[in-house]
Amino acid sequence: MTALLEVEDLHKHFGGVQAVSACSFTAAEGQITGLIGPNGAGKSTAIDLISGFKVPDTGTVRFEGKEVQGKAPHRISRMGLIRTFQSPREWPGLSVLENLILASFERRRERFWRSLRGPTRAEKKHADDQVVRARAILEEFGLLHLRNERAGNLSGGQKRLLEFGRIRMAEPRLVILDEPMGGVNPVLGERMAAAVLGFVTAGTSVVIVEHNLPFIERVTDQVVVMAEGRVIAEGPFAELRGNQAVVDAYLGEMPSYDDDDV
Amino acid sequence: MIDYLVSVLTEGSIFAIMALGLNIIWGWSGDFDLAYYGYIALGAYMTLVLTVGPATSPTTYILGLSLPFPIAIAIAIICSMLLALIVGAIALRHLRGIYFSIVTLGAVYVLYVFAGQFVPLFNGYNGLSGLFDPMGDFFGLDFSTYPFFYLGLCVFVLVVVLVMVTRLSSSRFGLALRSLREDERAAAAFGRDIYVMKLKAYVLGAGIGGLAGGLFAGYLSAFNPSAWSPVETIVLYAAILVGGRGSTRGVVLGVAVMVMGLQEATRYLPEIANQPSFAPAFRLILTGIVLVLFIRFRPQGLLPERRLRDKDPAGKGGAAIATEPAMSGPTLDTGTA
Repeated sequence: MTALLEVEDLHKHFGGVQAVSACSFTAAEGQITGLIGPNGAGKSTAIDLISGFKVPDTGTVRFEGKEVQGKAPHRISRMGLIRTFQSPREWPGLSVLENLILASFERRRERFWRSLRGPTRAEKKHADDQVVRARAILEEFGLLHLRNERAGNLSGGQKRLLEFGRIRMAEPRLVILDEPMGGVNPVLGERMAAAVLGFVTAGTSVVIVEHNLPFIERVTDQVVVMAEGRVIAEGPFAELRGNQAVVDAYLGEMPSYDDDDV
Repeated sequence: MIDYLVSVLTEGSIFAIMALGLNIIWGWSGDFDLAYYGYIALGAYMTLVLTVGPATSPTTYILGLSLPFPIAIAIAIICSMLLALIVGAIALRHLRGIYFSIVTLGAVYVLYVFAGQFVPLFNGYNGLSGLFDPMGDFFGLDFSTYPFFYLGLCVFVLVVVLVMVTRLSSSRFGLALRSLREDERAAAAFGRDIYVMKLKAYVLGAGIGGLAGGLFAGYLSAFNPSAWSPVETIVLYAAILVGGRGSTRGVVLGVAVMVMGLQEATRYLPEIANQPSFAPAFRLILTGIVLVLFIRFRPQGLLPERRLRDKDPAGKGGAAIATEPAMSGPTLDTGTA
């Protein structure tokens, strides 16, 4: 088990608010790591710092052993670390199929001069192959019939699935999912749990921020608990239940999650 | 009558080139640029100072060369692109939406006033003139055949620009630019260098604007700040919006409707005594009304931007839902728009 993502002593303040302080944790290759904590614990800020959307005051973020803190988001993304956002960020005016195709970044094909010249035979073939792959992914997520629809016309749940489809298309080494279950009904939740597990099978490790604890319990191998900007505990979910600090900060008097209706 | 038609079509072709350039900036990458007029104007000025020869008193301007028209236009395009590189590098760094627009508006007004007040540059508010029938002597044309030649030249350039823009539009470059328009943060999360891509689009659009400016200078044989003020950019925006933002065919249609159509439809309005500015004002009012109606009832325009459509209903490869015989491959309408 090697650490794919190592976060070390990360600090970030906004004015007088210390959003993240001394935050350190690791996410292992081939695993699903949960990141939980009460509102304002600094989870979203931590994600922004890791993915380059915000620059940390101090601290290091290592992805596959390389330091990435302070790098631009697109550079980190190209290294194979892709993040999602709390609300789905589809490209609303583009079709569902285009949303998927654009998820795979292809530096050479997107160059200006190459685009001006027009596609070669090999590039046309490649573009067709991509469509076939996009179709397979859409089929898997039940969105195939919507492939020519404007992505902005999709329902909230479908947008969540589209976001997952884009991740599958992009095939990153690590994906950070920011509250993917927000506003999702239980049936769709099942599908998304399966999809998250599917990411690992497809070679993408996962870090997941989520308030839905049954979901976290079910899919994660390891959980990181944050409160007031720092990491207060790290370990498998089952172990954390016995951790008094975690219970005080977040879990509270926790009911058993054996029942599905919780 | 035929002369009139030739001049309308020549002007229409030039405006279509202008609108196609602006469509890259606003239609594709989504930046409401108010400095665009500056790139057209610079293209026109540079073409003039590079072709009309040395200044004779009392006029003053820089360079004053007598280069061939095509070479002058090529240099003018480069100048417009360099100016766009400077303005874009500053304005696109962190500013978006209305803030970007305000900064570009400020930039173009600085240039406008500078060109007007600093007489040694482009002869101030009197502007430049003297570019008569570029390339006419070279081809041995007289004043009766020349307009046809110039129309042909403008249409030819328009077709070249159309081919280029159409290719880019359906390419990965064009598609990725639209993702910036639709959601920038998501585009960055999926590996796009927003700043560099937006800057590329901006400079490219400005280059096309400079090209159109050069042709415009050749058509008018003169250019000055008051003949064509920054407000005219709005006419180009109206054409793009009515035709279909982002859509190449739509933009050309939009120019036909909003620039050529409206202009010519209002040309024969009855003159009102002592109100010589009535017709131009009425044209602007009409433009405004049409704009409002389109924004309200048909924001996507007459010919909306086409999306990549996957027509194969059976799917192929991994998607095993074939209800019809699988086709030989995905049939894609890559759309020219």
